[in-house]
Amino acid sequence: MIGLKAMMNIIDNSGAVLAECVHVLKFKTRHGHARVGDTVVCVVQRARPIPIITGPAGPQTASIQAPKVRKGEVRRAVVVRTKKEEVRPDGSIVRFDDNAAVLIDKKGEMIGTRIGGVVSADLRRRGWGKIASLAPKVI
Amino acid sequence: MKVEIDSFSGFKIYPSKGKLFVRGDSKVFRFATSKNASLFLQRKNPRKISWTQLYRRMHKKGTTEEVAKRRARKTVKHQRGVVGVDLATLMARRTEGKDVREKARSEAIAKAKEEKKAKEAKKNKPARPAGTHTTGPRVSKQQMKGKGGR
Repeated sequence: MIGLKAMMNIIDNSGAVLAECVHVLKFKTRHGHARVGDTVVCVVQRARPIPIITGPAGPQTASIQAPKVRKGEVRRAVVVRTKKEEVRPDGSIVRFDDNAAVLIDKKGEMIGTRIGGVVSADLRRRGWGKIASLAPKVI
Repeated sequence: MKVEIDSFSGFKIYPSKGKLFVRGDSKVFRFATSKNASLFLQRKNPRKISWTQLYRRMHKKGTTEEVAKRRARKTVKHQRGVVGVDLATLMARRTEGKDVREKARSEAIAKAKEEKKAKEAKKNKPARPAGTHTTGPRVSKQQMKGKGGR
């Protein structure tokens, strides 16, 4: 249940570390709260420092590994873990220890290339199979 | 259908019952009831809570039946024949006894020696008329072949 002002950990390698939710997209039935698989608009609160590219190293460091997001940027994100329990179709209940999300762009493609950490299996059910397949562990 | 076990008390969790908790370090904990879940989150040690399986195992409560069951099982070895040696010959060979075996061995050795002697005799006969060393063996071989050696 991510709502306005909720803090989420960003678990991909886009460079952001912490993001604050600013708006929950669509889903009138969610009543303003995002669950796993929902898209939110968020502001990056903390990001990993982007290295300053000096002359000779130029083309190599501007690679996939370099963080792409700065602090204060407004981006979209998909929620992948919530502290609030999720009810699965078989009746089981799953709860994570923190709220986490993965940054995406307007088209729905991930900004980062890798995911570090556990991800909820509900992502697949809600149409984010690509993110679920990148994750090291899906529960 | 997989019946899980509770991470705290060791109870069975049937599908659609209980809760699953994933901790920050990605470790999974399953709870059958809110009682278990609550105690776990209060960081209670299940080894000290007397109704949990961990406690019961530690204090060896109600385990006498289990131990008895384990003793009953003992694997029985069956003798099987090998390819080339069926069971009967295997058992016969086992019960042969040392003398019989030694006799057989010495007989075999004597037989081999005899055969070797015969071979050498055959070899030597044709070699003499040939005369020279180098052609000797060649001739004898041919002759052996002609005689239809062995």
